[in-house]
Amino acid sequence: MISPAFASILASGRAQFNARAAEARRRFPALDMAAFGAFLHDGVDPLVVAVAAAAPERVGGATLAAYDMALELVGHGLAGPAAKNPFLNTVWRELAPQFAPLLATAPVDVLGMLSNAAIHIASVAGARPAQWQAGMAAVAPQVGSVAQLRAVGQVLAWRAGVAHFRLGALAAADTLPPALALAAFGEPGAQWPQVHAQLMANPWRGNADGREFGSFTGLGGDFGTPPQVRATADGFVVRSAERHYLLVADACGAVLHSATAQEYEQANTGMPPSVRLDGATVHVGARSIALDLPAGDIALAANAHTLAITSPWTHAIRLLPLA
Amino acid sequence: MSPFNLFQRISQAPTKPKSAPVARQFDVADLYQGPIALGAEGETQARPFDEKLRQAYFWIVNHAIISPHYDIEYNDGPSQTYSVGDSRRTLNLPSAQSYSSFILLPLLTFATRRKCLFVGGPGRGKTASALLMGVLAGSTVKEVKRAMQHGHPQMTVADLLGNPLPADLVNAQSMDDIRIAWRAWLGMRVKIVDEYNRIPTRTQSALLTVMGDNYAEVLNHIYECPEAAWYLTANDDQGGGTYQVIEALRDRVDVTVQALAFNPRFLNELLLRVEENVRPEELVPPDIIFTESEVDQIGEAIRQVGIPDAVRRRLEFFASQFELFETAGGQFEYMTKDTARLAGADRGQAQAADNGRDRLKDLGCQTLNGISVRTLMALMIYAKAMAYFRGNGEVELEDLRQVLPFVLHNKLQPDPDAPFFALPENAAYRSDRLGWLRRLFDLSNDEFNRLDLDRDDPVGVLSAEFDLGLDGVSERETLARLNRIEKLIGERTKGRKLYGPLYDDLLKLKYLHQRYTNYRSWLRSQ
Repeated sequence: MISPAFASILASGRAQFNARAAEARRRFPALDMAAFGAFLHDGVDPLVVAVAAAAPERVGGATLAAYDMALELVGHGLAGPAAKNPFLNTVWRELAPQFAPLLATAPVDVLGMLSNAAIHIASVAGARPAQWQAGMAAVAPQVGSVAQLRAVGQVLAWRAGVAHFRLGALAAADTLPPALALAAFGEPGAQWPQVHAQLMANPWRGNADGREFGSFTGLGGDFGTPPQVRATADGFVVRSAERHYLLVADACGAVLHSATAQEYEQANTGMPPSVRLDGATVHVGARSIALDLPAGDIALAANAHTLAITSPWTHAIRLLPLA
Repeated sequence: MSPFNLFQRISQAPTKPKSAPVARQFDVADLYQGPIALGAEGETQARPFDEKLRQAYFWIVNHAIISPHYDIEYNDGPSQTYSVGDSRRTLNLPSAQSYSSFILLPLLTFATRRKCLFVGGPGRGKTASALLMGVLAGSTVKEVKRAMQHGHPQMTVADLLGNPLPADLVNAQSMDDIRIAWRAWLGMRVKIVDEYNRIPTRTQSALLTVMGDNYAEVLNHIYECPEAAWYLTANDDQGGGTYQVIEALRDRVDVTVQALAFNPRFLNELLLRVEENVRPEELVPPDIIFTESEVDQIGEAIRQVGIPDAVRRRLEFFASQFELFETAGGQFEYMTKDTARLAGADRGQAQAADNGRDRLKDLGCQTLNGISVRTLMALMIYAKAMAYFRGNGEVELEDLRQVLPFVLHNKLQPDPDAPFFALPENAAYRSDRLGWLRRLFDLSNDEFNRLDLDRDDPVGVLSAEFDLGLDGVSERETLARLNRIEKLIGERTKGRKLYGPLYDDLLKLKYLHQRYTNYRSWLRSQ
């Protein structure tokens, strides 16, 4: 059963809502009306209830926007019970209602941004959608405008593992009130200028151990054969089984993008003087890290911030901060 | 400067430098790009035209013409294949984005403003596909339908091009006084001629002028037509129409596409159209409508797509296979199929005299004719268009391989008596011309690889040396080059059978020899 508020809006605009559904069925021949009905119940109804509580006078407009968007998302197979990734359903059901005051004033922008962001994050291998959702929910009471919602979403997407958003997210954070920016970074007691400077200088701030990335495709990983790595300014160009990737990694996560053989050929094979390999131990400045890899075939690649370690005996790439 | 110098000059274009590493721009705004269109801040920039072209393709293939025949296959790494049926034919699951020729080739025709012929049985979407192309050019469905020419046995030149105004005919003192009411379709950017093989021969000749020279003529009055893409349809292009299509008209067609059968598994799509009373051509999204200027820019961009030497060489090698007919000419230059055709010689008799060559291995034995200049140009244009459509700046061999059968479909005539078609495994190629042409290209590439011409091409080396120009080349060096050419001819002709590529190589060497000989004479006169 849907809420009385939603039922009343649907009943009052029945012809209009039916016409919109019929039009959507033309545009999306595969639109499953049963799935759409289920999404209205699970995804749209909580929104309508939240907006009705926050701004009853605007609930009609918000409902219409949500209804149209729901048709499009279900039509694309992105929402509803048969959605390939259920994260969008979760965002509509649990996260969007927390932005009810904003939804009431700018329903298309808010729902559109949340929906697109949910689809994007869910599609990035290695990203942590649940963390993004939790972060957004935590700062929701402080978000007062669509612009702030946009910037906060970007910052939290980076922090949830979308590593290649780092510079853009830091620029977006600068547009936020310092308190909100610090809240987005989970450091409410700090000073924003210092935090910002440290984040700019060190992509591995807050993660001294680095991370391990990749595994065998046969076990659901990324690489068909043990990868070979070369460094670029953006990250590392990886070659594995005649395929090439760009690996972008920092303290928040690691993401693979497609790359070309030409990029691999042109990537850097040099090594900073502070890095030295001694058997199965790698020395970075004064630090010595013993590797659990057979000595002899270990390969190193480094850019300004990160050391990548590979071996023909593993499908994983070890990423260590140089700082 | 004489306009001919343009073609005589050695290319001034630099060899393509190795591009610098791409500085990637990861945009945090991508987070909000998705199926939901947002306000101004969320909007993307204007799409490049190749993207717009792809959007148009996918819209048509997914929403308008139901053609689930992905016969233009691209692979990115290994693909899954299955052997099916008693004939063990291969079902391939391509590992990269692949396309339906029935949609893609007409779209490339639209982008390059060439001429496309649809062949296939009634009701397979030939006219609908052509109509969609007209809508993509910005005309309304009504305009396109009204401008479409329907071939019929009584079609006159006046029906096709226009009438003199009756009042002028009575009062005119000279031809200049007669005004012509030109048909509206002559001004369209997409021209459609339905069932062109039902047009009487005389009217076909008038159509030929419009197709070939882009103008119409009635009573000494000329109508200059704008650059346009042409779409012709024919239920049967093998002579089954009301009239035989004149050869020159058939030769003007750049690409031939076969409309394949409807797959009843997609009946639900038809049902939806019936129930909703929807016609796809009336619902073309404005986003994929192209202005005249956009098509101009696309055409220019397509011409700029590069064809690497390695790909061009393979095309040269392929095209070399078909013109040679050793017994047709007494003089070396006239040993061609065209010589035999012009003389109306008995082909069977001439072939019987041609012995000693491996008639299975010689690809030239499979065809009745060679490849014309017009066809080669169309081939290169479509290969470039395919590369452009795929977002590439250079043609790949696979681009050429994929468009080649559609361009040669009407141009390269198979010889059904060739031993190749007598082999049981090749029997299907008698009717599957596209499959045969693709097989022909594959066989040519296999031979190219066997000869290792990518790495060992002495004629290519001599040719490249000549292309550097003769300025400053000494007499001694000229003589050395002449000796090298003569030596190479001696080596290549020693005890060898004459095949098409060798014939063309020898003609090229003769040409180089002649140029150096003339140059040496000039040097000695100084």
